[in-house]
Amino acid sequence: MENYHNIGTTIDWIIMAAYFIIVMLFGSYFGKYNRTTSDFFFGGRRFSWWLIAFSIVATGVGSHSFIKYSAKGFEHGLSSSMAYMNDWFFVPFFLFGWLPIIVYTKIRSIPEYFEKRFSPSARFIATVLLMFYMIGYIGIGFLTLGKAALPLLPEHFTLLGSTYDVTLMGVVILIAIITGFYITFGGQTAVIFTDLLQGFILLFAGLFLFVLGIDYLGGFHVFWNLLPPEWKLPLAHFNEPASFNFIGIFWQDGVAGSIGFLFMNMGLIMRFMATKSVDEGRKAATFNILFMLPISAIVVSNAGWLGKALSIADPGLVSPNTNPDQIFVVVANIVSHPGVFGFIMAALTAALMSTVDTLINATAAIYINDVHRPLKKYYKEKVRTVREYEKKELSAARYSSAVITILGVLAVLVFKDFPTVYEAHGFFHSTLTPPLVVAIFLGVFWRKFTPAAVITSFIGGVALMILGAKYPAILVAPFDHGTPMDAKYPYTYIQALYNTLVCSIVAVVITLTTNTQKSIVNKIRENDNSKMIFGSFTVISIVLFFMIILNIGTVWTLVIMSLIVSSLVAIVTTHYVKYDEVSQTLGLTSWSLDKAKEFFKGSKINNREGDKILVNWKIKEGEDDIINFSQNDLNKMAADVGDLVYITDLRWYLGGLKSIHSKIGEPHNEDGVVYLTREHEDSGLFIKGKMLRAEKEM
Amino acid sequence: MPSILNTWIPFLYLYGVGGIFFFIGMYIVRKSGSLDMTRKSHKRWSKILYLGFFYFMFIHFILTIAALYW
Repeated sequence: MENYHNIGTTIDWIIMAAYFIIVMLFGSYFGKYNRTTSDFFFGGRRFSWWLIAFSIVATGVGSHSFIKYSAKGFEHGLSSSMAYMNDWFFVPFFLFGWLPIIVYTKIRSIPEYFEKRFSPSARFIATVLLMFYMIGYIGIGFLTLGKAALPLLPEHFTLLGSTYDVTLMGVVILIAIITGFYITFGGQTAVIFTDLLQGFILLFAGLFLFVLGIDYLGGFHVFWNLLPPEWKLPLAHFNEPASFNFIGIFWQDGVAGSIGFLFMNMGLIMRFMATKSVDEGRKAATFNILFMLPISAIVVSNAGWLGKALSIADPGLVSPNTNPDQIFVVVANIVSHPGVFGFIMAALTAALMSTVDTLINATAAIYINDVHRPLKKYYKEKVRTVREYEKKELSAARYSSAVITILGVLAVLVFKDFPTVYEAHGFFHSTLTPPLVVAIFLGVFWRKFTPAAVITSFIGGVALMILGAKYPAILVAPFDHGTPMDAKYPYTYIQALYNTLVCSIVAVVITLTTNTQKSIVNKIRENDNSKMIFGSFTVISIVLFFMIILNIGTVWTLVIMSLIVSSLVAIVTTHYVKYDEVSQTLGLTSWSLDKAKEFFKGSKINNREGDKILVNWKIKEGEDDIINFSQNDLNKMAADVGDLVYITDLRWYLGGLKSIHSKIGEPHNEDGVVYLTREHEDSGLFIKGKMLRAEKEM
Repeated sequence: MPSILNTWIPFLYLYGVGGIFFFIGMYIVRKSGSLDMTRKSHKRWSKILYLGFFYFMFIHFILTIAALYW
């Protein structure tokens, strides 16, 4: 495999440095919009759909990066675009299930949902699994960034008379320091606006590269005719080769990856939560998947397709043996001029940084919500004022962002030896996504799903997944659809099907046997030694689980152990966890969304349709989160006292940056005037003399 | 000409198995009432969701034809 170094000129480096400085200053500027942790993590729930839709481009494109799709485009052709066009199957579940639930229940992280829907213990395990998932995702992002930067750098450099090798890990550490800067000081608003800027630049840079490449080759027909027919097909071969096949990628990316991306990626979810309403979130997601993802597929893959065409036209220019992970940089350098190459590389690396910074921000949100706050509550830490509390939390959020960045760098070590980033990401999705995906999915859409089932699917499901990884030829092979098993990285993709199936089966069986578990638990409770029995069940489960991890026993003995662990965990959970089937599903599943809305509002929903109105604003005394309109204005909006209202600056291009949500108070007599508090003014950053637009939210 | 395992089998599997997930999703969100067909905006969303499914199917169909015959 041919590796490249020292690609690019001085002017390219100057342009890249300038680009990064501008992006960091841009991000830091929006740090002033973070007054609370809600602003830091969720951008104050104020933005328009189009702003979020475009800001997601950089996150989506960054995570499904230029490097990995160009690599597969070079190796297999247009089918590298497959992963960008298989997300629609789960969109109904997301738009009308998960999205309204996470917004209306006001949860700040996915594990918090697990506590409300199931139990604190389910939240704890979900936190652990989700932190692994998020940090793994950050690791993949850093690895990709490192691989993008490596071809640009020399093999060695000399400092104070000593020569040092430029290593992948060295580059990753340097990038992590730069990445950590504005996320630590900017927060979600900074991320949204930085991503918005980068989203546009990224699309332009990717499409510009395609145009340059087509021009370099002599026109589209030359490019098209150079590609072999197999390279032009939009879907990969059904089950070959092991490193890239349709069936594996369908289950790994189309199923586990799509659900993981929509339901588990806190970075993306937080972006949707930053929209001003659920409907705006739906519009942002729909627009992104229908239009931005197909365009992004071309943007991220075209360097690989061009590389393949170039390698056929002139193998001396682009060697067919080029390292696939370097093809993007190689092609960009060939088809563009000095300076333009620097711009394209800056856009690429900045997009990857967008993904990583979004994930760091999201992981910090999980840490604050699911580790920091519960610990503070446990130790009953006393804080004097709300302002002091917010200040302390914001500070903890910033420090945790820095620590998570370091953990992300360490995660690179797990993935760096895979042949390409694509395979590393495939392995990551197949392994870490299924347990949480199954738990969230069944939790949201199946009212009967119990805490015992969710905890057992986490533990028993993971035990069976571990066995699948240790004995793929026995356990995963029956599901392989004829894909060959790579000895070093067995069933990188199709393992997702096995993992999802075992977690689902455990979850469904345990739910359907709830009555049996309850009768067993009741019988044990009647026994004088019930405490000891439940305690010994717990100990046996732990011992067996470690035996499975340490691979002590034959494959079928270990499978039986997994089933015993599942049974014992289900019984122990049924005994220890208090669960109210009615209250813990109300407003928390797709079957009771109206209730979720009522909880969100705090009173009955007002569904009357009204108009948006324009108002001047005046300041009133007080600190309560209530604003006052005239009775006539309330009539125009079809709003009542106690309804929720959204007020924004009139300039559409701000996308809701200067806006607030509040509650309607008692009316006054001044038509066309709204009374706000100082806090509203500061939070919305409203400008004196500028009119506002008000609309009833619910 | 590429093998059918490279052309129409993946296409049929994608929209067959993927379609099962999609239509189950549509059924659940309608049955649960979260997609409320008595509301005008939700009726529009329902159309968008179905159109989206066939939109991606059409893109893959056209691209496969283009690869084979153009």
